[in-house]
Amino acid sequence: MTAIAHDLPVQRGAAVGAAQSRSIYLVAAICVAIIAMMLFPLVVSVLASIKTPDEAVAVPPNYLPHQLSLANYLKVFSYQAGLATYVFNSLTVAFLTILFCLALAVPAGYGLARFRIPGKEVIFLFLLASLMVPYQALLTPLYLMFAPLGLTNSYVGLAIVHTVLQLPFSIYLMRHSFEAVPRELEEAAVMDGCTSLQALKRVFLPAIRPGMVTVILFAFIQSWNEFIAALIFMGKETMFTVPIMLVSVRLGRFGTVDWGALQAGIIIAIVPCVAIYVLLQRYYVAGFLSGAVK
Amino acid sequence: MNAVRSRYIGLLYVAPAIVFVAVFVAYPLGRLVWLSLTNASLLGGARFDGINNYIRAWKDATFWTSLGFTIKYTLYITPILMGLGFLAALLTAENTPLKKLTRGVIFLPVVIGLGTSSLLWWWLFDQQVGLFNRALIDLHVLSEPIVWFTHAEVALWAVIISVVWKVVGFGMILFVSNIQGIDREINEAAMIDGASYWQRVGRIVLPLSYRTILLATLISAIGSMLAFEQFYIMTAGGPQGHTFTSVYWIYQNSFVFFKLGYGSALSVILTLIIVLGTAMQIFLTRRRERT
Amino acid sequence: MRLARLAGAFALGVSVLAAGSLAASAAELTMWVRASGANAAQHLVDLWNTKHDDKITLTVIPDDQMVTKLATGVAAGDVPDIISFDLIYMPDFMKAGFLEDLTDFLNADPNQAKVAQAYKDLASYEGKLYGTGFTPDVSILMWNKDLFKKAGLDPEKGPTTLAEVHEDAKKIRALGGDIYGFWFSGACPGCNIFTMSPLMVASGAKILPKTAEDEPLQGPGVEEVLQFYRDMWSEGLIPASAEADNGQNFVGNFKTGKIGIQGAGGFLISDLKRDVPDMNFGVTFLPGINAGQKSSFVGGDVVAVPKGSKNLDIAKQFIAWQLSDEGQLEGLAKNNILPSRADLSKNQYFTDPRVVTTAEAIGLGYVPWVFHFNDMVNSNSSPWIQMIQTAVFQGDVKGAVATAKDAMKSIASE
Repeated sequence: MTAIAHDLPVQRGAAVGAAQSRSIYLVAAICVAIIAMMLFPLVVSVLASIKTPDEAVAVPPNYLPHQLSLANYLKVFSYQAGLATYVFNSLTVAFLTILFCLALAVPAGYGLARFRIPGKEVIFLFLLASLMVPYQALLTPLYLMFAPLGLTNSYVGLAIVHTVLQLPFSIYLMRHSFEAVPRELEEAAVMDGCTSLQALKRVFLPAIRPGMVTVILFAFIQSWNEFIAALIFMGKETMFTVPIMLVSVRLGRFGTVDWGALQAGIIIAIVPCVAIYVLLQRYYVAGFLSGAVK
Repeated sequence: MNAVRSRYIGLLYVAPAIVFVAVFVAYPLGRLVWLSLTNASLLGGARFDGINNYIRAWKDATFWTSLGFTIKYTLYITPILMGLGFLAALLTAENTPLKKLTRGVIFLPVVIGLGTSSLLWWWLFDQQVGLFNRALIDLHVLSEPIVWFTHAEVALWAVIISVVWKVVGFGMILFVSNIQGIDREINEAAMIDGASYWQRVGRIVLPLSYRTILLATLISAIGSMLAFEQFYIMTAGGPQGHTFTSVYWIYQNSFVFFKLGYGSALSVILTLIIVLGTAMQIFLTRRRERT
Repeated sequence: MRLARLAGAFALGVSVLAAGSLAASAAELTMWVRASGANAAQHLVDLWNTKHDDKITLTVIPDDQMVTKLATGVAAGDVPDIISFDLIYMPDFMKAGFLEDLTDFLNADPNQAKVAQAYKDLASYEGKLYGTGFTPDVSILMWNKDLFKKAGLDPEKGPTTLAEVHEDAKKIRALGGDIYGFWFSGACPGCNIFTMSPLMVASGAKILPKTAEDEPLQGPGVEEVLQFYRDMWSEGLIPASAEADNGQNFVGNFKTGKIGIQGAGGFLISDLKRDVPDMNFGVTFLPGINAGQKSSFVGGDVVAVPKGSKNLDIAKQFIAWQLSDEGQLEGLAKNNILPSRADLSKNQYFTDPRVVTTAEAIGLGYVPWVFHFNDMVNSNSSPWIQMIQTAVFQGDVKGAVATAKDAMKSIASE
């Protein structure tokens, strides 16, 4: 399926062949340059995080540390309630967010893709509407709504807010994943006498798994990194998530910054996201390909 | 399957999502509109004020400059993102190991948070401890360090660079999936006809990717109009508030000046602008498609 | 037989209940503290916890989110038992009715009378007291003794007037290279209200308006100080990066040892001693135009009890305790943190004369009592920072002051 990109000549002259291999080297060189440019910020960040705290504020700055030190990481690990607590909270909220997103988006995508619903496009637009609202504006009304319900300072409450943010994208993805499943499979199931629910379970879920994985990936990333709602909705240190802690640990009075702690914080925030991305890469890339945006 | 039953069952499947959005989005939105009609303060107290907030917004110079700045940011960054994303897709659409690796690396920044990425670049651009200037000088691209954040125009580009680094992979992947879905035969037919690579891109790939490009552009533009975090972290609105985006100005009013009612009114105005812009774009492209 | 057993069971039950209720009487309190004050607060709270059955746990809120958090908390009835926050928010919070009235309680406490005047003023509203000093900080002037020596200046004599700062900075810059005479964070409103405004106040100026009728930026010192910064900037005595610095390098720069003189806070002293123990630095009061003029910005955190606190009595006990000798000396002074009681600025723990100087600065300092501090000063588009940037980096001192006056008056009238 790599039609355009596969430019190898079929019957051409040797001269053109030479030009082709030159351009292959050029393309390869460009790729390497791009890889270097894209990775540069991450690499120097890792290097800076293992500098001593003093070297991290050195002017002018160095690329490589003169002395290796884990002091920055130690500071982040042992801050207040301890990194383990914050990671646990972040992971719990992320897990619940993923659960809520899937529970809502999978059926919604199914309904929108496979059934003749009256006003379907209007409903779809309604579900996607929150994309156009600045979500910081929604936080205060949501908080005031949650407080009497006991949903503040709770994992479920924050997960609901994160779901509000993620749902439009998840529904969009799921609808396209469902639409990409060939009709023949569904018709076969219908002829076997399946109800819609059984068809969903037997035919669709396996087919849209890549799309689901994409939803999981993005829901995790967004929930893990979200700061402001987490701060507003959580009231106790022991319930705080990783992003809140990272703000507190690196800032001093009047905005002075502990650069070393900042780097360690950045790396700690990045690692789980990159890990999940690498682990799920198979699925999620395929997810985009199969749900090819029409 | 019975058509009527089909409709109701379909509705049943979509119902949970509809209820969720109605409760957790529509209702707070309604409260937001209500707040915008009061002089509510973050510190408590709210008195009905009619449309005074909206009148105030009309006269608020900073609101208009921030809106102009946000639109400028959107107009600069959207073509860059789409253009670079498309080029990156052309470069890496083939499934060779090197290209797959390049694709993966370009996409990598997409999975770190925007806040984290903004912090990373804020550090890189810092006048004192940042390595970006140093690297450019070492590569002989610059002879003197650039002062990034004392002028709004330069600061804008610093933010654009950081956001492009983070987000370009997303557009790239959308376009890659499109390119890879193009039928082989069309391309081979064109090659036999003697079309060059770029001619094929222009005559085959672009038209067949039209809908994707449009959709990606729309989503990207909406996101840019709502930009906040990257400016909050990197420029703090400076110098002197010249890099306030609309949402940043809303944040300032609601949470720094405590004017919750006024901030809510600004949110409503911004949302209306975005909805209007989106509706126009959809309307115009629908018309084009029909002709 | 049966009766005896019943009685026995009854007695057992009662004693279990009693023991249970005794154990239950030890309360768990929550206290919010802002991130930059967390360190100091932790010392006090840890000490309290070792000596009392009722335990306090700290929750650290990032500095600039504290107001939002408290406001939304009060609106939803979800507040901590005790709260400590940046004192410049006291007027807004008191006016909004967020805090418990502690007037009678504090006035009955002899230690309260010994607290620095600035805190007593700031925590009063309409004749009532709503809080008191907790973890103070104060601004002072620092100079790098090593650089002074190299530049041929007497390392033991810090500058005592603006003109002396200017002269000394010139000589240090003459050392060349990347050594500069002076530093300030040019895009950081908070840093400058902390270190620049005392220079103005020392010279006799009044800066922020309390009401719409007050005339802001009055008196000698305002234009002179701005001009003094402008001169140093145009003479190249300040690094170029100062213009865009939002405060992130407010502290880090002096640590590199390449800055001669800088306004800073007491908090920097322990930082420097820990991170660059080899650096010799001196501490003095922020000066004015003429010799003998000095001032400081009294900042740091106050402690108060939010309305709706579930453990009002224990919260009050904590506040009283931290004002006691034990709290002030063992909790704060021992850890090189300044005490809010002016009578304790010289104590057995403050062996370093620089720390004593800093503690004394609290007694002679000022703190502005204004509403909407954020609008007027702290926000990045505030009249305060715009005035500084226009005057210092663009050179229009008079125009900058005039614009700022109008803007501040309109904010004060809101």
